[in-house]
Amino acid sequence: MRYLYLLRAMMKKNFLIIWRYPFNLTAGIISIMMIFLVIFYGAKFIGGSTPNFGNTLESIVMGFMLWTFIIFAFSDLTWDFINEAQQGTLEQLYMSPLGFGWVSFSYILSFLVINLILTLGLFMLMMALTGKWLHLDFFSLIPLMLLTVWGVYGFGFAMGGLALVFKQVQAVFQIFQFVWVALVIAASALETFPWAKFLPVTWGVHLIGRVLIGGQSLSAMPIADVVFLVLISAVYFLMGYVIFKRLERVARDRGLLGHY
Amino acid sequence: MSEPVLHVKNLRKVYRSRRGETVAVEGVSFSVNRNEVVGLLGPNGAGKTTIIKSICTILRPTSGEIWVDGADAMKNPRAALEKVTAVLEGNRNVYWRLTVRDNLEFFAGLQGQSLRSVKTYIDELIELFDLKEKVNEQARALSRGMQQKLAVACALVKRTPILLLDEPTLGLDVETSYELRWILKRMAEQGQRTILLSSHDMNVVQDICERVIIINHGKIVVDDQIENLRKLFTASAYRFEMEGHLTQHQERKLKEQFDLIRINTDGSRTVIEAELLDSQRVYEIIDVLRENGCQLESVGKQYPDLEEIFLRIVKGEKQ
Repeated sequence: MRYLYLLRAMMKKNFLIIWRYPFNLTAGIISIMMIFLVIFYGAKFIGGSTPNFGNTLESIVMGFMLWTFIIFAFSDLTWDFINEAQQGTLEQLYMSPLGFGWVSFSYILSFLVINLILTLGLFMLMMALTGKWLHLDFFSLIPLMLLTVWGVYGFGFAMGGLALVFKQVQAVFQIFQFVWVALVIAASALETFPWAKFLPVTWGVHLIGRVLIGGQSLSAMPIADVVFLVLISAVYFLMGYVIFKRLERVARDRGLLGHY
Repeated sequence: MSEPVLHVKNLRKVYRSRRGETVAVEGVSFSVNRNEVVGLLGPNGAGKTTIIKSICTILRPTSGEIWVDGADAMKNPRAALEKVTAVLEGNRNVYWRLTVRDNLEFFAGLQGQSLRSVKTYIDELIELFDLKEKVNEQARALSRGMQQKLAVACALVKRTPILLLDEPTLGLDVETSYELRWILKRMAEQGQRTILLSSHDMNVVQDICERVIIINHGKIVVDDQIENLRKLFTASAYRFEMEGHLTQHQERKLKEQFDLIRINTDGSRTVIEAELLDSQRVYEIIDVLRENGCQLESVGKQYPDLEEIFLRIVKGEKQ
């Protein structure tokens, strides 16, 4: 039960903090929507007369939604480790007797709920504004989104660890934003480059595409496809977590947890 | 005599960087008894924060042992954190966008406590720290003093038997510092917590603590009851007041004969302060003063406060 009390406290704290930065939240949503509309209508203008371009536009809607979800997940841990270190509360989180592992899991879970609500809300808005309605099978979509983003949290942990030790990681962080774009796009080229399915998120984005654009349900997918997604996400998550633990050890050795 | 709840044995911390090694703490050992309130004193960089952070497991010592109420803090930090928490210096320790009550509830949750089990205690803490009027205000809107009181309350809400406070009154105005001191003193008198407190403010330590550990250059130089230290320094500290000035010859002679002597001239008066382990040496000083026919006005024992004791120890004036 104690673990649940911590989870509840963390969820409440994170919801309240987001809620109490309304300007930040609104500005974030508006800027995402503006970028999306520029990309969508830009692509429509350029490729409007091309046959089958309708599928590409649907891919843009889906790809942008997933990129947003991935960026939210990736940035949560990195920025929040930095923020907590800056405001001097990270050391307090480390002083929980339930362990920092559970504290960070609670962190992820609370932000996952928030991000899922935000991303799906934005997704509906994107479809409404563009008139491109995809196959909304939430029972297939949400589990696949969660499994895909699981691996991204590994990268978030690794970046969080780097932030603990090296502090100024903004440049690496910004590079990664483009890396995620490339990986989301790479998901559409798996037939040409089958090895790309071993890259982070590509296989997950591919399966989500089968649901949203192809209309396939999760239950109709071959089990091996889903198992592969679980494994690939698990591998990236564990790799990131191991890197984080190593860097956390360095930060504890050097007394860097409370410094920024 | 109550049993020890905190043991630090041969604690050593070396910070390694490209520039080389810095020994922050070297062979520090001490114990703190249950419900004892101990002050940790030392100049900047002496190793106080390193010791506190090592005990609350957020810093990995290079070697040594730390036992917190039976739990090995180095091998089993989670068990140790059931028993100890800290308010760290220079940190906010609380969330600025959360209200006073939200913060207290969050830190109780962080310790794995249910809201129901701490509700009454949170109300008591709000009352004790005089935060009732601000209970629904975000921490960022509170004064520095209120924020610090909230940080201490957030540490207390975890209900650990041992509390570490690193410079709890640093940067506070006189009134809030006094108020916080009063709360800590009350807690100490009621024997509610074992407290290890580091501070530059001697008044805080003198007021709250029974015992003091003085650290310099990462090593313990004194570990004793404040009362004992006061007696020790009172017994050996003498003050001579006289009209007129000493000759150069007299001054040189005194400084040659007595290692621990201070001569201060103030207008037409001279004050000599000396540490004399052998009280018979008082007469030797009087003999030197007599050479020039100086008019000795008074000779007496000096009653140093903790600040003077601390300064003498740290400056290596006391053997």
